Amino acid sequence: MGDIRQSLLPRDVLSAAKELLYHLDIYICNVVQSGRQPPQVDSKTQELVEEFILHAPKDRNTPARRMSALQELQLLEIMCSCFQEQSRDTVRQLMFSALFNLQGNQADESRMSLLGKLVSMAIAVGRVPILECAATWLQRTHRGYCVRLAQVLVDDYCSMVPGSGPTLQNIHNASPRFCCQFITAVTTLYDLTTEELTPPLELLQMIVSWIQEDPGLVLINFLNTALSGNQPISSLDVTPLGGLMRWCVKASLIYSRDKKKGLTNGSAECELEVGPLFSALHLSVLQVLMLLPNILNEKGLFGRLALLQVESLAALTSDLSRLLDQADKHTHTSSTDSSDLSELALDRLAQALQVAMANGALLCSREDLRAICSRLPHNNLLQLVLSGPVLYYNNIHTPPLAFSPHASHSPIASHPTHTPHPPLASSHPQYPAQPFMTGMQFPFRPSH
Amino acid sequence: MSAQKDCEFLVKRARELVSDDPCAAKAWLITARTLYPADFNIQYEMYIIERNAERTASAGRLLYDMFINFPDQPIVWREISVITAALRSDSQDKHAQFLRGERSPDSPSAAGRWREGNSDGCVFFLCVFVCLTQGFFETLPGRVQCEMLLKATEQCFNTLEKAEMLLLFLKRFPESVVQHGINLGEKLLEAEASDNVETPVNCFRKLFVCDVLPLVVNNMDMRLPASLMQKYMLKAAEFYIGYVTRGPSPDVQIQGSQEGASLKSPAASRGSQRHVIDGLSEKSSVVAEPWERLLDILAVVGARCEWQGDKGQSYVDMLQRVKELCRYLPGLEGDTRSRCCSQVVICAALVLFRSAFLYVSAVQPALFQGVNALSSGPWILVEDLSSVYNDVEMERGAVKHAHKKRKLADGREKTMSSDDEEGSGKGRGRHISVNKTEMPGWSETLESFRTARESWDLLHSHDGLESEFKKICASWKTDSWLWFRIFLTDTIIYQGQYRKALSSLHQMAAGQQPLPGQQSPSGQGSLEHHRALIQQASCHYALGEYRMACEKLLEVVGALMPPSQEPTKTSEDQGRVKTRMRKGSDLRLLPCTTKAMLPFCLQLMLACFKLRAFTDLRDDLSLGHVVVLLQHDWPQGERLFLKTLEKICHQGSFQYENFFNYVTNIDMLEEFAYLRTPEGGRIQLELLPNQGMLIKNPSPALGAELNTLLLQGVQTMDRHHTVTRGITKGVKEDFRLAMERQVSRCGENLFSVLHRFCINEKIIIIQSLP
Repeated sequence: MGDIRQSLLPRDVLSAAKELLYHLDIYICNVVQSGRQPPQVDSKTQELVEEFILHAPKDRNTPARRMSALQELQLLEIMCSCFQEQSRDTVRQLMFSALFNLQGNQADESRMSLLGKLVSMAIAVGRVPILECAATWLQRTHRGYCVRLAQVLVDDYCSMVPGSGPTLQNIHNASPRFCCQFITAVTTLYDLTTEELTPPLELLQMIVSWIQEDPGLVLINFLNTALSGNQPISSLDVTPLGGLMRWCVKASLIYSRDKKKGLTNGSAECELEVGPLFSALHLSVLQVLMLLPNILNEKGLFGRLALLQVESLAALTSDLSRLLDQADKHTHTSSTDSSDLSELALDRLAQALQVAMANGALLCSREDLRAICSRLPHNNLLQLVLSGPVLYYNNIHTPPLAFSPHASHSPIASHPTHTPHPPLASSHPQYPAQPFMTGMQFPFRPSH
Repeated sequence: MSAQKDCEFLVKRARELVSDDPCAAKAWLITARTLYPADFNIQYEMYIIERNAERTASAGRLLYDMFINFPDQPIVWREISVITAALRSDSQDKHAQFLRGERSPDSPSAAGRWREGNSDGCVFFLCVFVCLTQGFFETLPGRVQCEMLLKATEQCFNTLEKAEMLLLFLKRFPESVVQHGINLGEKLLEAEASDNVETPVNCFRKLFVCDVLPLVVNNMDMRLPASLMQKYMLKAAEFYIGYVTRGPSPDVQIQGSQEGASLKSPAASRGSQRHVIDGLSEKSSVVAEPWERLLDILAVVGARCEWQGDKGQSYVDMLQRVKELCRYLPGLEGDTRSRCCSQVVICAALVLFRSAFLYVSAVQPALFQGVNALSSGPWILVEDLSSVYNDVEMERGAVKHAHKKRKLADGREKTMSSDDEEGSGKGRGRHISVNKTEMPGWSETLESFRTARESWDLLHSHDGLESEFKKICASWKTDSWLWFRIFLTDTIIYQGQYRKALSSLHQMAAGQQPLPGQQSPSGQGSLEHHRALIQQASCHYALGEYRMACEKLLEVVGALMPPSQEPTKTSEDQGRVKTRMRKGSDLRLLPCTTKAMLPFCLQLMLACFKLRAFTDLRDDLSLGHVVVLLQHDWPQGERLFLKTLEKICHQGSFQYENFFNYVTNIDMLEEFAYLRTPEGGRIQLELLPNQGMLIKNPSPALGAELNTLLLQGVQTMDRHHTVTRGITKGVKEDFRLAMERQVSRCGENLFSVLHRFCINEKIIIIQSLP
């Protein structure tokens, strides 16, 4: 393939790129047909792509060829139809990889830039094959770059062109896989640590509506992926569950803080709207978690694969504890309002932890939970979750479960291993253990 | 430190949140359920939230979960029964609304709430089943799903609920009918048998006949033995017939009559149609178009049993078909013969019961619910006596009373028409006349009676058929069907088997006696009694037992109040369909009203006495009674009256002490006055009141002459020879005065006079008959 360089050089940038795409297509078809393993393009071809499509400088003495904006648009159009017309998934996927897999070189910047434009265009004109390829790309690429792609799309559709939201809304129908990955990327991007890192309201509404309409969307990537365990460590999470959980737990505190600072434009209005949104989103997250036992059992992964990492939850709880401290400091007079918001955050955290654990999304003991939640202030539900259900459950009305589609497979149904108040000795070394209030009476219990 | 307290806390928090933030409330409950999956209240709360928000799919799923996990919770069953009730009433609502073309206001019941919440009430329950078939059950094979549901169904508390559940299931999964249809049917029949219900119109049978049976017989994947299908067919027929002929329930009747009293709107009659089958709701107790449904089932069963003839026929066509079939019956053998036999018996029996019902519902509407009893009272099948006045030849009378002839010349000939409508070509066809204006549906009624009789005859035309039919009757206990006995009695009367009819009437009267509580304010009970007496009288008359006939009649007349108004003769005459010259073997449907009964009684009495009066023997008493009775319907009996006069002339004298008490007819008075004149033949008339009384208590008001006359008259039978001229003159004077007085009575209500006659002279009347 390297020999075509000479024929490309004399051509103008657009026709050279076009010619190369044409040859690339033929070349990849041959690669796939030859059954070579692994099917990948050689470095020579890779260089040609960087030179004639990404226009990275070949070496110092050759100046980079540049395309005009119009030429670039034409190229994107050609690429769009190229992917659209290719009927073989493997070929298309290899082609996409050849063009956009990051190589850790100078060309990566232009690669990212071109990718952003291509995906944005594919969303606009509804090119499903490209979105599918992009979904795979998001799965394999370092999360840093995934987040950058998400940022481009959010900028394009939520900030730059007002009213273009509905176009983005459509990706749910066009490519659920891409949509799912996009949500994961967005929740990774906006981690609610700073004001800039709160999602635009329009995006939030979009995500909530997607998940409400189809809770399974959150798991689609997980369902379609053969989890081999050799997932790139730095890639995005398999599901957006962790990110969404973080949003829901922190939201009440973040948005109220922003309101007090008067930073968010139209904050009062905004807060009115986000409250119910996060409430609905939180419920959706719990409902998605409830779907897990069946899926995990089918895959034979129940109790073996943690969709939520203890570490990231630890990070969340420490974030939360910091936020709660801040909230306390800011409101000494402590309106019931703000304490309500704190309670809401803790309630949600407790609910998410409990439901995740019960449904096999979170693999840890209550002891571990107590460790990571040790710095949090008291909350009734959290306390209940941390100590676990009372084991000897004597309800005369309830005979032993005959059949429960939800509970029968979940470990919580039999509460197998955890005693309500286990010894405090062995907690995770990396989280400083603080005394758990053993035997503390819950305020709602009879003494109250 | 109890789980109970934890659960209460969790549910309480959810409840606090549900109005402001339902999502948060649900999040709490989801969490709670993962903590305490075996707690009922948590799941129930989840269900309630979904239900109140009318999210049918998730509510259905949660209900299903509870149903599986907490099969012993009464609340779960309460919910399910509410839903099944809503389902049942829904389907009926649609049908009922379609039939009535109106919307019934929804009851504020839970079922109503469900319906209001859902555009289609079925959606909810279907969701339960969709959850079952899709969702988490998807991986289970269909057979296992069925097993699961059947197991769940078995946990229902009673057979009815269980059956309803199973029925919904069968409707949802028609392919399961093959496996469970028969079983469900048999379960229902067993339940019916073990429940000792006394009527086939019960909840089990209703479910079996109206819901299960159509599913079973219409399922062509099932191979059903003909015997089973016939058994089911008869179960269905018994139910539908029982349903149609069910009597009004006592409380409803009172309600109906109250409504009827206050306003005579259609609502009143609709109110009286309310009838609840024990164990079912009011709505599900309604069976629309029962005869049509029965015909539907018959068509399917017939097709499956390979019966002869095409399907989708009417009852009338059906009778014709089996009649034809019957002709081939003797030539058939084996299976073909028994199959043919079954077809004939079942079809003819259904036609019989339907037609008999139609007839009896016209003749005795008060017996049935749903038949509008207000429209007309009972009718009585009796001998037609309209020819009672025309029976006697009057050749000679016409000559002798030529001067009167002019007056009587209008005659009644024009009202006599020949009969031909019915009976032509039918050997033992007897005509039944009826007042067309008083019975608007007369032709249908008579047609039903005829069809029923034909079916009855057909069923008794072969031993094989008869024995089959008797089996059906025995299993249905048709002997205890009052309405059917009424039909049979009328049939026997029609056939002229009066002795049998009398014993049947006596049996019926005995059977009816122990139910005095059924007497409604309208006096239905006494009407029934009168009806029976008059029919008995008619039978006795036909048998020639005049004394018995009059005894029965006078019992009725004694209880009647004479109509305050004279009958308007024109309407009576117009209403009469026909009076014919035929032999007196015709029948008549007589309305069971005072207005109609009193004239009939008078006619019947006349008929009884007429025969005695005109024998060659002298019987002045009978002749006198005839004269009194002939006043009714005057001048219908003019010829007979002339014949009476003829006989008196022939005798040369006439003695009838009641004459001036009961004869007020001016024409008659004139004729009798004329008889005493030389032109009239100087007939000796002893018409003054009771000599016996005068003998015992000689009245000072009467002259000595008269007393002497009367005494002598009593002493010697041949008085006019012994009476002196002077005395005779005095008698003449008294006669003239009595006549004059009598003329002034001409305006008196004739019915009152004749009624008095019947009551006061009852003993004499009866004794003067053999």
